Amino acid sequence: MLFSSITFLFLFLPVVLAVYYLVPGRGKNIFLLIASLFFYAWGEPVYVVLMILSIVLNYFCGRDIWEKKDDPRRAKLSMAFAVTVNVLILGFFKYYGFLIDTINAIFSVDIPYRELALPIGISFYTFQAVSYIVDIYREKAEPQKNILYFALYISMFPQLIAGPIVRYVDVEAQLRHRQLSVRRLGQGSMFFIIGLAKKVIIANTAGAVFEQISQMPAASLSVLTAWVGAFSYAFQIYFDFSGYSDMAIGLGKMFGFEFKKNFDYPYVSKSITEFWRRWHISLSTWFREYVYIPLGGNRCSVSRNIFNLMVVWTLTGMWHGAAWNFIAWGVYYGVILVLEKYVWGEPLDRLPSAVRHIYTVVLVLVGWVFFFSPSLGYALRYLGAMVGAGAGIVDANGAFFLFTHWLLYVVAVLGSSAMGMRLINMVIRMVRNRKAKTAVAAVIYMGIFVISIAFLVTDTFNPFLYFRF
Amino acid sequence: MKTERLKYAYIMKYVMLVLTVAFVVLIMMYTSGSNKPFEAVEQAVSSSLDQDGLEKQSGASFKREFGLTEADYAGVMYYASEFSMSAEEVLLVRVHSESQVAEVMEAIEARLEARKNDFEGYMPEAVKLIEDARKSVRGKDIFFAVSPKADEYLNIFAESL
Repeated sequence: MLFSSITFLFLFLPVVLAVYYLVPGRGKNIFLLIASLFFYAWGEPVYVVLMILSIVLNYFCGRDIWEKKDDPRRAKLSMAFAVTVNVLILGFFKYYGFLIDTINAIFSVDIPYRELALPIGISFYTFQAVSYIVDIYREKAEPQKNILYFALYISMFPQLIAGPIVRYVDVEAQLRHRQLSVRRLGQGSMFFIIGLAKKVIIANTAGAVFEQISQMPAASLSVLTAWVGAFSYAFQIYFDFSGYSDMAIGLGKMFGFEFKKNFDYPYVSKSITEFWRRWHISLSTWFREYVYIPLGGNRCSVSRNIFNLMVVWTLTGMWHGAAWNFIAWGVYYGVILVLEKYVWGEPLDRLPSAVRHIYTVVLVLVGWVFFFSPSLGYALRYLGAMVGAGAGIVDANGAFFLFTHWLLYVVAVLGSSAMGMRLINMVIRMVRNRKAKTAVAAVIYMGIFVISIAFLVTDTFNPFLYFRF
Repeated sequence: MKTERLKYAYIMKYVMLVLTVAFVVLIMMYTSGSNKPFEAVEQAVSSSLDQDGLEKQSGASFKREFGLTEADYAGVMYYASEFSMSAEEVLLVRVHSESQVAEVMEAIEARLEARKNDFEGYMPEAVKLIEDARKSVRGKDIFFAVSPKADEYLNIFAESL
């Protein structure tokens, strides 16, 4: 079920919220778990079984590690077992077809295989399970005694499908006790509405432009069209994914949970290092905590640190999908981050702010070309078109897309920085009276919601981009 | 007591691992698609069809009846009855990506609803066939059949993967 669907907005969410607020005490967790399993089973009636198996498996793995904590060697073995099983399950669903395709291509053989659909959200819930296992091994958290609470941690519907990746230590206390209030419900609704608007108004519209441009042969793209396409994709993926995260955070608040922010206006960054501190923060944090630091982090020699960075970024690329373009995208960022750290980081800091911003935007757009391309060959041809190797500098297509969607790009630029929210808050603060302020805020957010619904009902099926990861 | 709990968690994690592997094997057997060429699957299914009543349809017909464009997919095989008073049809679609599965399934549901409305009230046997239609999604292959032999066709489709 999509957050941005009529069924979710007008049936599932109101019913679940109403019942959740009516159910007393500990029953809330059980009800939220049932609602989450139903939410997942709505789209994945078969794979919900896999998720339940994963929950029970990790629950017992966590307990087994804790029972062995007085014997470090056995505890480590138990942790390694649990992590390996999780990675193998994820790897099997995500990469086994890719692996056989690669073998077929390299050795010119034709090994047949059974294609399996990727279970939605498996990359996210597997990473949450691994964080739970490792944090228990590190004794940062105790194993959850109540399997239903643990199941809720893994399957909580607001963040189940596309994150943010919530670490167990961050919600352990909230699983036992959390505050519900009208204020928090209101804040959650505001987050949710902003996220919905980001998705259905900006991301889907930018996505429609990108789709048209991406269907043209790369050789027929002018420089203008190619850049409009790259910018459109950049806006689509940002507003799609950060919109989903805002909705997840908002839903969390409605149910009394506090999730950490997943995006912090990444397109205002002035270096790639800063960009990755602001983009998909929960994934970067996960890789830092559970891969980079265990590998030695930066407390080691330069060569080892470069190796660690490249491992982390290659894995980050692979996490996004079983295709060479994602691996290339990860390696691309690994190389840039190494260069920023050891070669041009300091000179870069001395450049004017505007230059650093342009540098970052250009490199991020090049990265998105690798990301959206169906093959490496297409990515290189598209990049060629961006520098003039396609069909000239300017053509009617590019001008058409630009002039017919200029308002979209203005809104997208405003929404990519804190300016968009500042504008909304400025309008609300124009009124001095507190009650009137609340009324103005309610009118603005209801207006945004109504416009989003208008976009939604006229739109075609538009799943979130990060569902496929 | 502690030893008991330890043993329980230790044993249960292996039990869950075995159950997980068994589940994966089952879904490989019953829900997976294959990397066989679409033509091979199409050939297996089309050769089994009752050629007396069913005729191969064009992309335009696929567009008219399902509202989908043939070129958007990796492969489309559509057979329908040559008689307007028959509800029989068999469709096989290979999508490019899993994100296309939902749109094809939506189109199939809409088609079923429309056909049911067409026959409701005067051809109960056709309505029964429509209600007993067989649909199956196996990886990137989607199968749909309205036919007295729908179960047989579905088995052939599954075996062809």
